[in-house]
Amino acid sequence: MDWLTRAADLAWPMAIAAAWVLGELASRATRLPRISLYVLVGFLLSHAQVGLLPRPSESAMLFVADVALGLILFEFGYRINLQWLRVNQWVGASGLLASVTTFFAVLWLAAAFGLDPLTGALLAALAMATSPAEVLRVVNEQRGSGQVTERALHLAALNCVLAVFVFNVVIGLWSFQTFGSVSQAVSSSLLVLAVSTALGVVFGFSVPALLRRLGPLGPRATIGLAIAVLLIVALAQALQASPVLAALTFGLTARHRRVALDPAQRNFGALGDLLTVLLFVFVGATLAWSRVAQGLWLALALVGVRLLTQVGATLLFARVGGISWRKGVLTGVALSPMSALVIVLLVHARSRGIDLMDQLAPLAGATLILGVAGPLLTQLALRWAREAHPSPEP
Amino acid sequence: MPVEAFKYSESLTLGVELELQLVSLSDFDLVDASPDMLELLGRAPFPGNVVPEITESMIEISTDVHTGHAGLLAQLQAIRDALVRAGDRLNVGVCGGGTHPFQQWSERRIFSKPRFNEVSALYGYLAKQFTIFGQHVHVGCTSGDEAMFLLHSLNRYVPQFIALSASSPFVQRSDTLFNSARLNSVFAFPLSGRAPFVLSWDEFANGYFAHMERTGIVNSMKDFYWDIRPKPEFGTIELRVCDTPLTVEHAAALACYLQALCRMLLERSAPPPAESDYLVYNYNRFQACRFGLDGTLVDPKTYVQRSLREDILATLRGVEHHSQALGCSTAIDRLHGVVREGSDASYLRRQHAESGSAEGMVGAAIQRFRQTTQPRADQPR
Repeated sequence: MDWLTRAADLAWPMAIAAAWVLGELASRATRLPRISLYVLVGFLLSHAQVGLLPRPSESAMLFVADVALGLILFEFGYRINLQWLRVNQWVGASGLLASVTTFFAVLWLAAAFGLDPLTGALLAALAMATSPAEVLRVVNEQRGSGQVTERALHLAALNCVLAVFVFNVVIGLWSFQTFGSVSQAVSSSLLVLAVSTALGVVFGFSVPALLRRLGPLGPRATIGLAIAVLLIVALAQALQASPVLAALTFGLTARHRRVALDPAQRNFGALGDLLTVLLFVFVGATLAWSRVAQGLWLALALVGVRLLTQVGATLLFARVGGISWRKGVLTGVALSPMSALVIVLLVHARSRGIDLMDQLAPLAGATLILGVAGPLLTQLALRWAREAHPSPEP
Repeated sequence: MPVEAFKYSESLTLGVELELQLVSLSDFDLVDASPDMLELLGRAPFPGNVVPEITESMIEISTDVHTGHAGLLAQLQAIRDALVRAGDRLNVGVCGGGTHPFQQWSERRIFSKPRFNEVSALYGYLAKQFTIFGQHVHVGCTSGDEAMFLLHSLNRYVPQFIALSASSPFVQRSDTLFNSARLNSVFAFPLSGRAPFVLSWDEFANGYFAHMERTGIVNSMKDFYWDIRPKPEFGTIELRVCDTPLTVEHAAALACYLQALCRMLLERSAPPPAESDYLVYNYNRFQACRFGLDGTLVDPKTYVQRSLREDILATLRGVEHHSQALGCSTAIDRLHGVVREGSDASYLRRQHAESGSAEGMVGAAIQRFRQTTQPRADQPR
């Protein structure tokens, strides 16, 4: 059976290669965003389907996927102007409204489908999330520029933070209920959040200072930042904190120190592109068709409800927030993706001993649907807002 | 279509047009915000006129006709405040500066208007490279002949306006060593340069322009990208060489300097303009673009060379009593200050050195533009 284990080592690199090639071919033909295609390839090759790829949480790939998401979140945090949310409070208000209404709407939906309250709460917490990874990749690919782009980015950051926060709180309640241990409960929520944020802030202050000390680096500063993201993700994992929150906070704090991320190095260049393929193949690979089929109806309802609440919230505050009704609607549409964030959060929970994959089967379906459709919706939103400006295909 | 008859305009009235940068407050790069800004500004009466420019990261404002500095400055400040308020709601910063220090022209988007699409189709990449920001000043003339006289009398002072307004030292993240790199983009156009040396409007309209029109190269005055251009439908001449200054106060000062200068020239006490004045025009203009206030000016008649600084100071002294008559002494004082302390280009260079990045430079320009409005503590540095 020796050759089998050796063959297994080849699985991930082959999967990544296949995903990239198919992504290039199919995106030209179908004009689907590349990341949608990576998710599909990952799904098809998954351990649960074809059995090609090993179980995601048991492989070193989890760390690499974390780093991939960390890089994206760092760049994301770097592009957010918190001052704007203070000056134009309607933007933040629409984000808050979107998150709150999504949470309660999905909670009600779960109850209507007969799920127990705590499971429903977990589902609702994750449904609040907008995955910054897909939004940023599509924005960069389409070179989005304008109000829908700005608001989608800022609201995605807000949704992401709120979702991680609420998810960790609900996990705390869940583990208290399941294990009856207060220490588990506490460690699973507020401590995680505090440690993650602290980690991000410390890095955000010290790393730019260090880079400045190393002299004028120019484009090489991005390598330094990538290594810092690697470190912060590893530290967060070791401390059982949230790498997601840590990387995002790192980006937000570093921006204040103004170590400029040269636009040519957007997406962290080739490194970021490679890791993105891996991340989205990983996301697809965690999904099992059996789970997808099990909760399909609820999944569809969830996707629909989520779209409604997000569009509703952005539409409500559109005009008073300074944009047209049309752009308000499109901002909500652009916030559709959630897959990468949700999967990473679930896989992390599993590696901490809290396996929610079976309980949250509807989420598998929603993740698959939005894994493919989410980036497409964001792309369409940017196109319809006339804010997309993709480089002409050579 | 033949050029319009030159409309009568009260002598020495002023109008100012400013092309301003729309910058993202997230990453300080140019952002395609003009459709969103125009939509938001359209909701309330705007204290002036605001229109889109050729690419979506530019916006152009213009004032009404003014007779003096006070009125002009007040309107420019009101316009600035309206723009800044709208920009704040959209995470957009508005600022001056002749070029954006690190934008890539290939990323710019052409604003969808028929004329812009035509220009883009004709001029290719030059249209996107035309994402440069200038100030145009209109001076009213009572007749076409007066306009042509002023146009050619002013050529000697064009380098002064370039040096005083220069605010574009950086292009694509590099220091060009020019004080005004913007004008290099203007000169690339085939119909740039200067008007032909005719002093009679009749000769210009029915001779030169008619001829050019028959060749099919031009359809209207708008096709010429001259440094000073007559605008018959307004009854003005338009000075187009200035970079957009970093503050509206500086813009008003430059406009009023032009007004005082025209008042002096209309006395007709100086020797009349001649074709040979243009022998040194291109080179003097280059000196002003490249070296700014430290550039060297050559007099075509006396062959005397002197620094632009000296030349400007001499002219400022010369127009002093004219400026007092027009009520714009504060403007002249301000320009004295600029000659002493340096132009906006040197300010931008200093900001780049202090902050260590091009983004810091843009951040400083945004802060400078806001000036007396509610200071918004943007990200420090």
